[in-house]
Amino acid sequence: MATSATAHAHAGPQGFIRKYIFSLDHKVIGIQYFFLALTAVFVGMFLSLLMRIHLIAPLASLPLVGEIKPETYLSLLTMHGTIMVFFVLTTAPQGGFGNYFLPIQIGAPDMAFPVLNMLSFWTTFVGFVVIIAAFFVQGGAPLHGWTGYPPLSAVQSAGPGEGLGADLWITSIAIFCLASLMGALNFLTTTLDMRAKGMTMMRMPLTVWSWFITAILGLLAFGVLLSAGILLLMDRNLGTSFYVPQIIVNGQIMLHKGGSPLLWQHLFWFFGHPEVYIAILPGMGVTSQILSTFSRKPIFGYKAMVYAMLAIGFFGFMVWGHHMFMSGMSPYSAFAFSLLTMCIGVPSAIKTFNWLGTMYKARIRFQTPMLYAIGFVSLFVSGGLSGPFLAQPVLDIQLHDTYFVVGHFHLIMGVAAIFGMFAATYYWFPKMFGRMMNESWGRIHFFITLIGTYAIFMPMHYLGMAGGTRRYSQYTEVAYLQKLMPIHQFMTYAAIITIAAQFIFVINLFWSMFKGPKASDNPWEATTLEWITATPPPHDNFGGVTPVVHNGPYEYGVPGAARDFVMQTDPPVASSGH
Amino acid sequence: MHDVAKHDDSKGQYFWVWGALLFLTAVEVWLGYRQVFEPVRMLQVLLLLSVIKSALIIGYFMHLKFEKAIMRWMLVISVTGCFVIMYFFFFPDADRVKPPPSGVGIGQKS
Amino acid sequence: MADATLQHNAAAAHGVAGEYEAPLFGAYSKKVGMWLFLASDSLTFGALLFAFSYNRIYTAWPTPFGKESIINATIMTACLLSSSLTMVMAVFAAQRHDSSKTRLWLLATMVFGTAFIVLHGMEWTHLIHEGLSLPAFPKPAGQLDTEYAKISKGVPQFAATFFGLTAMHMLHVTIGVIYLGVVALRKWFLPILGVIYIGAYFAIPADNVFHYAVHALLIGLIVSAVILFLKPKDYDAHDVEVSGLYWHFVDLVWMFIFPLVYLMSTKI
Repeated sequence: MATSATAHAHAGPQGFIRKYIFSLDHKVIGIQYFFLALTAVFVGMFLSLLMRIHLIAPLASLPLVGEIKPETYLSLLTMHGTIMVFFVLTTAPQGGFGNYFLPIQIGAPDMAFPVLNMLSFWTTFVGFVVIIAAFFVQGGAPLHGWTGYPPLSAVQSAGPGEGLGADLWITSIAIFCLASLMGALNFLTTTLDMRAKGMTMMRMPLTVWSWFITAILGLLAFGVLLSAGILLLMDRNLGTSFYVPQIIVNGQIMLHKGGSPLLWQHLFWFFGHPEVYIAILPGMGVTSQILSTFSRKPIFGYKAMVYAMLAIGFFGFMVWGHHMFMSGMSPYSAFAFSLLTMCIGVPSAIKTFNWLGTMYKARIRFQTPMLYAIGFVSLFVSGGLSGPFLAQPVLDIQLHDTYFVVGHFHLIMGVAAIFGMFAATYYWFPKMFGRMMNESWGRIHFFITLIGTYAIFMPMHYLGMAGGTRRYSQYTEVAYLQKLMPIHQFMTYAAIITIAAQFIFVINLFWSMFKGPKASDNPWEATTLEWITATPPPHDNFGGVTPVVHNGPYEYGVPGAARDFVMQTDPPVASSGH
Repeated sequence: MHDVAKHDDSKGQYFWVWGALLFLTAVEVWLGYRQVFEPVRMLQVLLLLSVIKSALIIGYFMHLKFEKAIMRWMLVISVTGCFVIMYFFFFPDADRVKPPPSGVGIGQKS
Repeated sequence: MADATLQHNAAAAHGVAGEYEAPLFGAYSKKVGMWLFLASDSLTFGALLFAFSYNRIYTAWPTPFGKESIINATIMTACLLSSSLTMVMAVFAAQRHDSSKTRLWLLATMVFGTAFIVLHGMEWTHLIHEGLSLPAFPKPAGQLDTEYAKISKGVPQFAATFFGLTAMHMLHVTIGVIYLGVVALRKWFLPILGVIYIGAYFAIPADNVFHYAVHALLIGLIVSAVILFLKPKDYDAHDVEVSGLYWHFVDLVWMFIFPLVYLMSTKI
């Protein structure tokens, strides 16, 4: 099933603009998403650096930004959260790698709706521009946190950034919702309709499954956030009171009356909790793929993995209330939410068990993608274990709005998902850019990042248990938190080192893009469809032929086969596995 | 695999559906205008009628009745599932916007 | 014929030879895509309706709509239901490859849709004139101070949910009419839409909220121009059917908004 260079069904568009800017090719769009997310992650990381420095030196005057005032600190954390969650964690794994590899892995020539795909990227781009613009308008960026709880977010006069800045913030999110909807229905339709012959649902690679389930979550969740955002915009600009009760702001009685801030929390978290899985599921898929490839063993329990992901997606919609235990909800609701949240532990544990089972007694090739996949599992476990703590209403009331929560969600949703992205980058870079990334710099990057992230986020748990509240801009003013300052200092130094190490990655990325050694078609000896085509793939992915699939996605070490791996398009083997 | 053109012969059924929808609307308006039931029962009756109407629209006009079973069930279950979940958690929680009894709190000021 | 189209759905779209798995939902991609969009959009509307109910459930909700409003809303409902019927006819005509009939039925659907929008707009104007308004709406000359004005001060959620829900729905109807216009007339629809936009902008006085809302037509004009530029092809039976799905969905949403917003608030 090698690629035949002779049979090009149709050549791609020529001209620079149609080829690289307004391209309809899912591969180009995937790379566009990837670089958008890369830009966004550096913006978000820079903001977190400013915050960390401010926390240990509140009165210092920094270059470029000057002294950080408390409201600036709140703007920084709002924008850090929003940019990271929407434009990095949602954009890169799904929009970037999903766009590039979902059609190739199912043997399709492109997405089902190429024009919609292009519109979805450019809409995301507009959303990013709008949110960056919030920094530069009068009053600066909003200060209500990425969750945007009203009344703070719903009243124009509530703070310096709550004027035009907050309008831009919510507009950007609404635009992002539209873009994600377009993306999600494209992913779903492509997976449902455009699988090559033989690529049954149960032969799809787990990455495809993870993008598929993520798209279902996005489809159902972003619509709700969209209407929540519309109502918030109405409250802010048309004077309605959906979210605002009678309230006094800066000594003035507002005209609002009778609304409920909890309504926003319900609508927001109905989106917000599935969003967590939107961020992490693609990481799970990539990790499964890489662990199997580099362990040279079939994935342990393919079907269990699929059903576990489906279960995580299913339960993800029923647990949003665990973000709201502090709101004084009915104990019966709290109990139900708590129980359902605990249920998510089961499929998560199944996945972890299967990852370990895949690596058990394997001849592992410790290359950079594999290191990152193992790092993902490690972070997933250590971040996930604090989840059941927070799922208990009793403990959550103590730990809510402390650094414990910050540590928890950064480990599991932030850094674990980013490790998934790193793994994906190191794994698929040869296919995307035709060259190999530098292996030794990759390893150095991995070890600094892994140790660095643990050094940043593990102490946060202790900080939280000691009562260290989050979102305060100056802990020096609070007597009982003074003694915790050394921990903050340690975390800041760790953050500076970790952030510095990310430049190794960027330099490696760009250097390898132009100077790295040429990659072969299948450098990792993997089995899925992207590795049968040329590197980088031609415009229609398979050079005018459509592959025919005969095997499951993870046929490694099949007895009697000529090699230790059997491509999906190889003649069928009597599989011992699933 | 189903062919959309096959149902061309039974064009009459769409007129029946249209008539049924208009009739149900008339019933709704009559119920609402004459205030036949007290509000909560009225809400239940109206919502029931609306669900019947939307089922007619989805099933016949939107042709879902003639699609593959898996498509029918996947779409209907995912959307109604979300609504059911929201229903079970939103409304028990909504009583918290209830104004405090006998006018304590800020409701009384101003 | 349809089987073959379904089987080679992907192949036909991209000019690539080869066999594909049968689509899981047994339908062509555009239809699946539209259904998925509608699933998502029903959650958008569902969230709005839940917000409405959440605010309403323990509030002393006013019931101001008299005979006039109810009759008007009933006529609007009948318009939408009839437009669904003409849409079904358009889909049938398109499946018979009868393009002139298709166009006529689509135009009939658009007429019903436009009638709905106009009736609704007049209803809004009437209510705003009577005093039911949001703080940010322009104050029309000679705005009355009737029961509605008391309501919009006493229970601000009433006006907010009324205008919010119906505006969202009206936006969907407008998008639907533009969508059908593009399917029916393609690029010839753009000048018509442009004329309607400019005409409506100058015909509606500046103290009416629609003087500003009409800019939605401009955005629709730009978006449909971009789409027609990107895909300047003829629309086939599939496209008509998919646009029909959207149109029926808009109809369906109104079947919930009408009883919840109007009939649950009729005057005793």
